[in-house]
Amino acid sequence: MRQNRSNMETKGAVMNIQNAGEFTPFSPSLHANVETIRNRFGGSTDIVIRMFRSDAAPDREVAIIYIDGIVDSETVNESVMEPLMSMKLPPHAYVKGAKLLEALRSCVVSIGSVQVIEGLEQALQYLTDGLCVIMADGSAAALTADVNGGEQRSVTIPQTQTVIRGPQHGFVENVRTNISLIRRIIRSSDLHVQMHKIGRQTHTNVAVLYLHGIADEGIVKEVYRRLADIDIDGVLESGYIEEFIQDETFTLFPTLLNSERPDTVAAALLEGRVAVMVDGSPMALMAPTTFFTFFQSPEDYYQRFDIATFVRMIRYGAYVISIVLPALYIAVTTFHQEMLPTTLLISLSAQREGIPFPGLVEALLMELTFEVLREAGLRMPRAIGPAISIVGALVLGQSAVQAGIVSAGMVIIVSFTAISNFVMPEFNMAATSRIIRFLFMIMAGMFGFFGIFISVLFMLIHLASLRSFGVPYMSPMAPGPTKQGPWRDVFIRMPWWAIVLRPLDLNLRNPKRRPNGKKPPAQRHSDKA
Amino acid sequence: MQQIGKNQLSILIIIFLIGSTPLFELGIKAKQDAWLAMSAAAVAGLLLTFMYVRIQKRAPEAELAELYTMHFGRWIGGFIGGLHALWFAYESMRNVRDVGELTMMALLTFTPKWIVMLLIISAAAYTVSKGLEVFVRVVQLLFPIVALSYAFLILLLFIARLPKLMQLLPILENGIGPVMKSAFPDLLSFPFGQMVIFFVFWKHVSEKKVIGRVSYWAYIGVSIFLILMNVLVLCVLGPELAALSALPLLEVVQMIRLANILERLDVIVTLLLFIGLYVKMTALYMAAVFTLKAVTGIAYRFCVLPVGLVIYASSFLETNNTYHLWIGLDITLKIVPLFQIVLPLLMLVVGLRKKYKSAG
Repeated sequence: MRQNRSNMETKGAVMNIQNAGEFTPFSPSLHANVETIRNRFGGSTDIVIRMFRSDAAPDREVAIIYIDGIVDSETVNESVMEPLMSMKLPPHAYVKGAKLLEALRSCVVSIGSVQVIEGLEQALQYLTDGLCVIMADGSAAALTADVNGGEQRSVTIPQTQTVIRGPQHGFVENVRTNISLIRRIIRSSDLHVQMHKIGRQTHTNVAVLYLHGIADEGIVKEVYRRLADIDIDGVLESGYIEEFIQDETFTLFPTLLNSERPDTVAAALLEGRVAVMVDGSPMALMAPTTFFTFFQSPEDYYQRFDIATFVRMIRYGAYVISIVLPALYIAVTTFHQEMLPTTLLISLSAQREGIPFPGLVEALLMELTFEVLREAGLRMPRAIGPAISIVGALVLGQSAVQAGIVSAGMVIIVSFTAISNFVMPEFNMAATSRIIRFLFMIMAGMFGFFGIFISVLFMLIHLASLRSFGVPYMSPMAPGPTKQGPWRDVFIRMPWWAIVLRPLDLNLRNPKRRPNGKKPPAQRHSDKA
Repeated sequence: MQQIGKNQLSILIIIFLIGSTPLFELGIKAKQDAWLAMSAAAVAGLLLTFMYVRIQKRAPEAELAELYTMHFGRWIGGFIGGLHALWFAYESMRNVRDVGELTMMALLTFTPKWIVMLLIISAAAYTVSKGLEVFVRVVQLLFPIVALSYAFLILLLFIARLPKLMQLLPILENGIGPVMKSAFPDLLSFPFGQMVIFFVFWKHVSEKKVIGRVSYWAYIGVSIFLILMNVLVLCVLGPELAALSALPLLEVVQMIRLANILERLDVIVTLLLFIGLYVKMTALYMAAVFTLKAVTGIAYRFCVLPVGLVIYASSFLETNNTYHLWIGLDITLKIVPLFQIVLPLLMLVVGLRKKYKSAG
């Protein structure tokens, strides 16, 4: 396997690491081989085995094997089947034994990626990968031709991370398509792609992408090492991989960024991060990731910098609000009424007059209700969507207030908290604040402001102790940056020409994006002629 | 070994020395000259810092307990180191108790003290168990909060036109005597002499060459800030009122009334207080653990919980707040110079005689 790997690397091709260590050589008899393969698939009906005698080698029977539905049947027919059946080999190619396959490869099969394989397991693997296997009687080897295809979702607008200005295509489930989307953005031979197979049963393709010469080699190696340690029966989504390779399991905070946008991934690669893509999932993972990257939307970089900065500030504010607002409300109404301006206090107290519950219970009730509504909104069949919004808005909002179960102030707080939560460009960071909010609320209900202070303190200590692939999670704030550059794209976004350095506080081999922080001079036009 | 950078060191010095200091009007015994007393103590503290750095330079890779054993031999040095660890724990305990008392006074009148102190000491213990690097990062995260809060408060004070420079006059009404009296030893021991704690942390700074320069500048900067805060409180309240109130800064902030919204900003002061106390408590707690580890050789992680328990348990020993303040202001201040001045001075003298050449 080791040798296979280095061999493939020199070819610069997509790399396969086979988890199965076993190796069974082919038998020289075609019928025996075909029978074995058929048996290994348990006689599955979608295995197509076409045997024929071609003009190319009339004395020897040839078999084409593929799995129906995951190959592109047009390609199979036109580029494999037809040439094999109709073409004659040039005279010098009339050779015996294994060399026949070599001749077929070089002269007949008109497909870009064709390989010679010798083991049965390899053949099975390639078949399930959507390749077609060509075998000839009398040779103990086989050819594989890449005819991968079949039904798949086409590239569409990203569903979860939308932008107004910016590219409007998102990843799909096919990892090859996804890589090609990146390749089309970064047209450089420095973009290295390495494919791994993970999953004993699913043999899922997991691709690692990085920019050679920019990404830290140590981190790339660490990603490989962590991926190689994964041993599981199946990988259905990048979430599986994320839980295996993240630094800390017991944390609410995501230490890997994920995105379904090719431009986001390309930007991360340019910043020196490593991307991991999983076949079957439109979500790519990016590491190392710091806390502040979760507040950066791709649109920040397409909009004008001043507007982007403003929006980013709003995002930080909204995140804080979505965590502490209900807790603050509870603390103020329960413990520190003197904090409020008198008129507001009077109106709040008047609202709460008929409410049977203490502030904490009221808030928990409303927040939990909202979480239920939200989950229902996600899972229910699309057709009954409007019903939920009516029930949610009218019954649980207005009527609950009129019935005197919750106060109107609490409804405002809960709604605003919920809306703030949706401002976050990254869903997994937003989800974090949903849970933390409850902890804060309980602490505020017990200890008021002191409880909130303690909660914030614990959160900060926890954040300060996190790392993502060795990079401190709170960098470049704590530990602070060694250079000035990283600040230009954290809380604010400077104009593009001023962002000289790549953001991560890694020892990047090549930390500079631009030679200097100067704007290229423009031709000055004056009003006077 | 965990390492911190030079910027991190300066931020640690700044936040540690600020601690809860600006909340009290220190040196008020000198009336309107409190700020002069503060300045005198700050200058003396700078001299102390010079001395500390000098001793540290002899053996940059050694921390407090190791320096003691190096200068006084294994047994005496070890004993003194143990004593010093105890003192660190004691000082940390005082901060824990402060949190308990202040929460009762300012925020939660009916909540039992034990749970409040348990919460804050567990936050400290959590930090200490994560190590110095994480602690310094937390301080870095808190730094902007502290800086912005102080800036905000000061700005509002000036917008509300509360400070009156007249309050500082007449300068040196009763001569230099009362000033010196309130400066030494009280003001020197708290907060300036507490720089002694950095004997424990200097070892972990990655750039050993600059610890002197960084420490001096951070020290000078934070001293100026503290003196200015002292002046500000004096200017707003005047010497009589400042002497009477328990938390003068709280009093000052309560006077801010702007546009019917910016009222009752006490919560910012309380927040600053808690942050300061937390940083001090954790730094002292960590110093105690480091020193204990160096003296006894017990692994760091095994020291964390016992030291924390001792600090937590001992915070109940004082029966009430008055007693707590009396011990703090009378008894403690008589013992403190031993650790801050006498022992380092002894080290310096012994070291001169031994003619140290770098790390022994």
